[in-house]
Amino acid sequence: MKHKKDVVDIVNDSRIGETVSVDKNTVGSLPVVKRVVLRPVGYPLRTVDEGKSPEITTDDAELFSAYATDQWNGTLVKKNSFLFDQYIYPDFAFKVVSCTPKEGHITYKTKIMLEKIVKPLSVSKVKVSAEDIIGQTKAKEKCLIIKKYLLEPAKFGEWAPKNVLFYGPPGTGKTMMALALANETQAAIFLSKATDLIGAHVGGGARRIHQLFENAVNCAPSIIFIDELDAIGLDRRFQSIRGDVSEVVNSLLSELDGLNPNLGVVTIGATNAPEILDPALRSRFEEEIEFTLPNREERVKLIELYAKRLPYRIEIDSDKIADMLEGFSGRDIKEKFLKALLHKAIISSRSIIDSQMVMEHLKSVISFKNERKVKQLYM
Amino acid sequence: MFAQPGMGYDRAITIFSPDGRLFQVEYAIEAVRRGTTAIGVKTSEGVVLAVEKRVMNLQDPESVEKIFVIDQHVGAAIAGLTADARILINQARIEAQINRLTYDEIISIETLTKKICDLKQLYTQHAGVRPFGVSLLIAGVDADGPKLFMTDPSGAYWGYKAQAIGAGAQTVKEILEKEYNENLTLNDSIKLSLKALKQVIEAEFAFNKLEIAVAKTDDRLFKILELEEVKSYIESL
Repeated sequence: MKHKKDVVDIVNDSRIGETVSVDKNTVGSLPVVKRVVLRPVGYPLRTVDEGKSPEITTDDAELFSAYATDQWNGTLVKKNSFLFDQYIYPDFAFKVVSCTPKEGHITYKTKIMLEKIVKPLSVSKVKVSAEDIIGQTKAKEKCLIIKKYLLEPAKFGEWAPKNVLFYGPPGTGKTMMALALANETQAAIFLSKATDLIGAHVGGGARRIHQLFENAVNCAPSIIFIDELDAIGLDRRFQSIRGDVSEVVNSLLSELDGLNPNLGVVTIGATNAPEILDPALRSRFEEEIEFTLPNREERVKLIELYAKRLPYRIEIDSDKIADMLEGFSGRDIKEKFLKALLHKAIISSRSIIDSQMVMEHLKSVISFKNERKVKQLYM
Repeated sequence: MFAQPGMGYDRAITIFSPDGRLFQVEYAIEAVRRGTTAIGVKTSEGVVLAVEKRVMNLQDPESVEKIFVIDQHVGAAIAGLTADARILINQARIEAQINRLTYDEIISIETLTKKICDLKQLYTQHAGVRPFGVSLLIAGVDADGPKLFMTDPSGAYWGYKAQAIGAGAQTVKEILEKEYNENLTLNDSIKLSLKALKQVIEAEFAFNKLEIAVAKTDDRLFKILELEEVKSYIESL
């Protein structure tokens, strides 16, 4: 496709002196574009049995910018217009996502970048449902409200459940609950460990957070799950320990309850230690839901649930074992107890896990948990 | 002008934080929550203490003490660090005898409580020591009738009609708020305490894991009940 070049002789152009042809369609008074962000879209048409359009990415942003400005020098762009590649992928279309200023011509000084998209975790890959989570009734109740909201965001308006904090010991089902929620509502879920949001440069963390929320709004209804919130949401008095976190906290604060309505986005934060969170951050979370270690009954259910899923047959008295596994979380029971036990059985080429093996393994696992030793100090 | 709001070093000893809190004392209160539950209920007929003992494997249940007799008319249930509690109980016993020697009288419950609390407070305002990580429920009968006091690691004390300390305290307090009334008989108080204890007990609800003590208004004696009696109360629930 022959692209009509609109070339304008501009004072800032480094190739001043070169003769350029001026098309009667050019508008001479439009400014130069400083920054353009492109989203690779695809081919304008394709045959049906052809493969998908290639996924475009670049290893060197500067190189791409040089290539792009060389190719599209003088082209008039504005937001949502299209640019077509001519050299590497002929007729591959790029959509102009953003353009600073709003409208103008590309020159050699323009910076052209590819949009970076944070892909939400594909919900279909995750097969967790609320039934897999034992106990935690309060959390499940709150999640019903969140479910209703995600199915009909507009209905709630200002009374929407926007920010919820899950807190409790590790392995008690916080991440699982968020995944189950996403699964049941088919909402997009952005799983982010809090440390992902800390950027390499000052200001990087803040930008990532704004980007994250922007992406979430684009994919609404969606859930943003920020794990290990205490890594970045520290009380701002702890500045001496991490000087760069305060900017991250500030940008989080503005996103959680700020100027943008962020309709259809639910933010779930998860932490083991809510006490060291910044109080302003904590107050943005309308509800703090505690995830507790399982009590005796819940441990029995957990053992039975996971033992059923074991590929080997196992002789286990869930009541007795539940007594001895005090202080263990759901994940501990599955990973430290049952999984390790299974691996032992596989290594010793046994096909059935008998009660003797269970008891032996139990002893080694329990000494692992300091909790029991320390408990003796208290009456 | 350095390391001011530093929560880093101030934690070592009990000094004030910028917003006026004593973190060591607050942490000591957390230590109390690691102990098992103890419940106290006071009515006109007397005071009842009911506790869950934490008995580990192979431990002799009778050697595990959570309720202590301080004098013939007064005793206490503890929650928190066992060793700290022992020191406080020793002190309480000495104070009770000093009072007898000095005044030829049994010590009043409030006076005893005050003396223990003075000691606790001293350990929050002295260099090189840490607060006691123990709360006590002091129960007994003196000339003014049945009394129940609770003390916490800061050295503060309050008189209560019914109170709980330890791990399940929150849940028990909710139950007590609903079901306590001043006209309960001693039997009712025991049953109420056991019922509440059943909700929060860590291990199984067995008679050898529990202990009950009663101080009756009429005989003014603080007695820890025998295992058989505990068993019969549980069965009658």
